[in-house]
Amino acid sequence: MIEFNPADNKMVLKLVYYGPALSGKTTNLLQLHELLAPEGRGDLMMLDTRDDRTIYFDLLPFFLTAPSGLRIKIKVYTVPGQVRHDSTRKAVLQRADGVAFIADSQLSETGNNVASFENLEKNLALVGLDIASIPLVIQFNKRDLPRVVSEADIDRTWRPTGIPIQMASAVAGAGVLETFSILAARTFMQLDERWRLERDHGLSQEDFLRQLSVRN
Amino acid sequence: MSNVDCLEFLVGAEKELRDVLAASEVAPLLHAAVTAGAHRALVQSGREVLWQWPEDPVVATESPTCLMKALPLWLEGEAVGEVCVEADMTHPAHDALTRMLAAALNTAMNANLKRMLTTEIHTQVVNQSYEELLAANRDLTASEARYRELAEHLEVRVQERTAELEQTWARLLRQEKMAAVGTLAAGMAHEINNPLGFILSNLNTLQKYVGRFVDMLEFFNHRIGACLSADLQDAARNKWRDLRMDYLTEDVAELLPQCISGAQRVKQIIADLRGFAHIDVAETAPVKIAEALARTLAVMKAEIPADARIEQRLVNLPELKGNGALLCQAFMNLIRNAVQARPEGLELTIRGERCADEVCLAFRDNGPGVAADLRSRIFEPFFTTREVGQGIGLGLTVVHEAARAFSGRVEVHDAPGVGAEFVMYLKAGEGGDG
Repeated sequence: MIEFNPADNKMVLKLVYYGPALSGKTTNLLQLHELLAPEGRGDLMMLDTRDDRTIYFDLLPFFLTAPSGLRIKIKVYTVPGQVRHDSTRKAVLQRADGVAFIADSQLSETGNNVASFENLEKNLALVGLDIASIPLVIQFNKRDLPRVVSEADIDRTWRPTGIPIQMASAVAGAGVLETFSILAARTFMQLDERWRLERDHGLSQEDFLRQLSVRN
Repeated sequence: MSNVDCLEFLVGAEKELRDVLAASEVAPLLHAAVTAGAHRALVQSGREVLWQWPEDPVVATESPTCLMKALPLWLEGEAVGEVCVEADMTHPAHDALTRMLAAALNTAMNANLKRMLTTEIHTQVVNQSYEELLAANRDLTASEARYRELAEHLEVRVQERTAELEQTWARLLRQEKMAAVGTLAAGMAHEINNPLGFILSNLNTLQKYVGRFVDMLEFFNHRIGACLSADLQDAARNKWRDLRMDYLTEDVAELLPQCISGAQRVKQIIADLRGFAHIDVAETAPVKIAEALARTLAVMKAEIPADARIEQRLVNLPELKGNGALLCQAFMNLIRNAVQARPEGLELTIRGERCADEVCLAFRDNGPGVAADLRSRIFEPFFTTREVGQGIGLGLTVVHEAARAFSGRVEVHDAPGVGAEFVMYLKAGEGGDG
């Protein structure tokens, strides 16, 4: 959580889209921006990029208000995927409330996915977060491409971890909202446990998700 | 990072309008709006007016067509304030002016926000990299120091261990040698002393008997011979002469005392050897220096050339506490060195005197002396200047060890004129003259 200011009645959350280089993190945010109505979200801000690659981060803010009047702002970030930008990833990951790991389904990218996931685990630990308890969703992107790892293989590998898996083709907008909703739902559950959003602020999970995903 | 020199940023920290707009950016725009015909232009956040033009609005205009138009200022999608223009809004240009103002301010805010975020994350990354570099450098320095220390210590440790091993070996060798000498001496003493005892006793008895034989012969010669016939007297005289009885009776009186004195000398040699090896003495017994020196010289009698002059000047020496055998061994080694340094015409002076709580024993010879560059090494085990097979280099090590055993030390100097002087300083025990 970035901040919670009870006097101001405002809570600022952080969700991070993590994953190897060119796996489609920015595309996910672009699609969210496209698919969701302007009510409840801000504009997508992309910091400087090089050759279409994120070198700092992208930011898409969301807003919602609980019946109690509590204003919740959710800042969704992408990180740069390239190995060399590890320090930036660490900085963006600080105080994250949830992580969507965007994997590249192409068979050739399997190694990069694994390395990036290990990097996520390491960096979470470095910023004081635990991969076992942080809300997490894994998206296997680029399902539209040939020569991708089979869903059966993905299922066999990841089911034992208990982490929810979402297939997606972000360029086409498929699976993008679903990924976001799973992450938002899991984040809500953890927040509710800690901050009693439903009991103290009258904000149910359904309400939370509905406000976040008003389609265009 | 708690370091005050370090700027800490949290990616996502909330920003206010003031953070992303500077007065220098807003003022010219507000000013321009007024110049273009507006009465007043201002930027506010909530109810707080942040900037306005004119800076001191004197009176509110009462014109019915003069209206206040407000447009939102967006920060990360949130309306964090508004820009307000008070003007005659019936004039379409004024409405457009307000929109232009809002667009200009929003563009500036957005550009500033991006620049700030970029700068912040850059700073954060630089800080982090710097910290990581420092940490890596610390680790490297520590590991380098550790290896260097290890390497340095290794050399020292090897030297220490080598020295220890040499010392231990030397001690073992010496102890074995001493023990062998002691066992030999003890065995010899036992084996020789018994027969020597009855030899001496019987010799004394024999001497007595022989005396009586001679007396009896004299008696026959002078008293009974005269009573014999002339033939027998002649025969007896001839026999006496043939058997050279005059010489025999004379010589036998010298032979037996010589035998007895020889046997007594053997007895003394054995006693000296036992004394030298301190076989019959308790280890805690006080050591008398003069006695120890005398025994050593006695044992070495055969080694010391006849022409050697050994002078002893021992004055007022106290008894010492310690291992007498070791001290004797040290004396022997010092004397032997002197003999070997000057095989002919040796003049060895052994001075002993008490200085404060020490006994100072100086062995000064007239040999070639010890070269200055060798002096620091001659007490090391196995250091020798002799040919292979002539000495194993333990002689002076024993002297050094003996001095240490008596809580003292040994030094080597040039003797005045020519030769070397070895001085043992030994800690004096309590007791009378030694």
